[in-house]
Amino acid sequence: MNFRRIFLFSIPYIWLLALFLAPFLIVLKISLSDIALAIPPYTPTLDLSGGWVAFKDFFSQLDFENFTFLASDSLYWKSYLSSVQIACISTFICLMIGFPIAYGMANAPQEWQPTLMLLVILPFWTSFLIRVYSLIGILSQDGILNQFLLWLGIIGEPLVILNTNWAVYIGIVYTYCPFMILPIYATLTKLDASLLEAAEDLGCSRTSAFWQITVPLSKSGIIAGCFLVFIPALGEFVIPSLLGGSSTLMIGKVLFEEFFANRDWPVAGAVAVILLLILIIPIVLYQRNEQKMMEAKK
Amino acid sequence: MPETTPNPWNDPTAKPLIQFKNVTKRFGNFTAIEDLNIDIYEKEFFALLGPSGCGKTTMMRMLAGFETPTSGTILLDGQDISPIPPNKRSVNMMFQSYALFPHLTVFDNIAFGLKRSNMPKGQIADRVQEMLRLVQIEKFANRKPEQISGGQRQRVALARALAKAPKLLLLDEPLSALDKKLRQETQFELMDIQEKTGTTFVIVTHDQEEAMTVASRVAVMDHGKLKQVDTPDRIYEAPNSAYVADFIGEVNIIEGHSTTQRDTVSIAWAKGQPEIIGTLSKPGMDGNVTFLIRPEKIVISAEKPTDRRNTFQGKVVDIAYLGNLSTYYVQMPNGQMIKAQAANSRRRSSRPFTWEDTVWLSWTDTAGIILDR
Repeated sequence: MNFRRIFLFSIPYIWLLALFLAPFLIVLKISLSDIALAIPPYTPTLDLSGGWVAFKDFFSQLDFENFTFLASDSLYWKSYLSSVQIACISTFICLMIGFPIAYGMANAPQEWQPTLMLLVILPFWTSFLIRVYSLIGILSQDGILNQFLLWLGIIGEPLVILNTNWAVYIGIVYTYCPFMILPIYATLTKLDASLLEAAEDLGCSRTSAFWQITVPLSKSGIIAGCFLVFIPALGEFVIPSLLGGSSTLMIGKVLFEEFFANRDWPVAGAVAVILLLILIIPIVLYQRNEQKMMEAKK
Repeated sequence: MPETTPNPWNDPTAKPLIQFKNVTKRFGNFTAIEDLNIDIYEKEFFALLGPSGCGKTTMMRMLAGFETPTSGTILLDGQDISPIPPNKRSVNMMFQSYALFPHLTVFDNIAFGLKRSNMPKGQIADRVQEMLRLVQIEKFANRKPEQISGGQRQRVALARALAKAPKLLLLDEPLSALDKKLRQETQFELMDIQEKTGTTFVIVTHDQEEAMTVASRVAVMDHGKLKQVDTPDRIYEAPNSAYVADFIGEVNIIEGHSTTQRDTVSIAWAKGQPEIIGTLSKPGMDGNVTFLIRPEKIVISAEKPTDRRNTFQGKVVDIAYLGNLSTYYVQMPNGQMIKAQAANSRRRSSRPFTWEDTVWLSWTDTAGIILDR
């Protein structure tokens, strides 16, 4: 292997090392520390001038106390559970909305497709915060949505949406739907139309050809889309804190409070480490599955 | 069971399996098929041959049900099939791209159509095994399409299309993705399988050799119209137009003016040249005619032959050496170029003729075809 290839290979690894592994190790270390009234607000800190003894002393002070604390207080596991639930349901709703949109886009006339694509990514041109704030304006009790429904006569009195989990779902689905649409659209445009004709020729109705051919062959896009929605939704902080109510439990909110309100960095660190573990499990499973598929091909 | 006549198209009492009756298909302003009538009989291997854009694929897609005729009717077994959707027709198609389902194994690809029918599960497995044996790919039953070669994929596609035992099998350029050697082998296998299964095959191709090899009858198409429908040898030896003659193989086209004497015709075609003597294909052919003659029917020699009446002197302008054959381009004194072919039957012999040689071209009275112009 020559130098050029090693160089090319090492770029992604250096990237991961610097921007993922190193910060993760720092957070992990903080999560194993104890809270302290100091700057930084935890102890111990590593002092390399103390030599080997100080180094050993440093490690002996690290413990899993914060993790046992997380397990003992029901607030935390309830927050994790509720976050997973909200992220799962939001991902499912995104799939239900995103797949038909992607399907429609892929089957639209060729000359329309760039425009439709543009419309999907257009919201990203405005700040995320501004969009969430405008959702407050839409969803609040005297907001546009309620006024519209009242005007239509569908409801007698305004619905309470803002500051409930409903608003959180609406916010997450609205924000992350493009991440579902784009990968599915990409796989659907690659789908060979003659496969559907072949399925029809062999006795499938249009509907069963869709389930037998289109859906299995867009699996990779669906999985990618689900990851792209699930992962940020699980740790989402801005949407639940702006749109959700006090009863909305999401781990992102808990993390923020531990970190900034309580200034308990070690507990916040532990919360973050567990969150990462929850996210890593499905990714590892997916990766293993992909690897198996690759090996089967050989 | 009544004996099927070898040539049902010559039997006026035979009932065709497929009938196109005044079928026209338009896409916007473009007419793909124009007022087309054709009968295709059971157990035929019928080839639709023509240049791209001639409407042959449209015809096939109408049979499969992916297109409906703008006007006219298509009958399958005496029944109008236009209102029947593709999934309800006893017609299966082998796609040019094969269209194998990439997420299913070879076995499941072949079983796909059977699973949509009412066939019991145990029978499906048996039928798939039978199909795998028929196309000789038993070994690859559990592989995915991307794990097998192009030739094997072609077999899977054929097996999948045949699995439901359709009345009619459509093959859209089935061999175009294979290399030449494999294509020739597969042509014979296709004929074999067609004979074994007794299915009616309709094949679309732009490869005239392929059509001539596999088909019992060939339809030559151009611009949405049938030019000639006949057996391969009749298409080649008795084309009904210069277009057909030119499309199938090579041909010399000579225009002239004919006069009939009893059962022979003499054609004046160039000043100062002897007239071409030919035999009549139909009576009353005085006037402007086209004389067609295949290059292999022309003998090229250094001396003037005495055993035949059509002898003309010319000069070799070009030689195309093809290995088994050589084609000589001989210029007549009036500038007309005539191609003559000679088999290179002997090795090591130096070429009998070379550039700028003066040679004699000759042919018998019956070698050429005379058509009205």
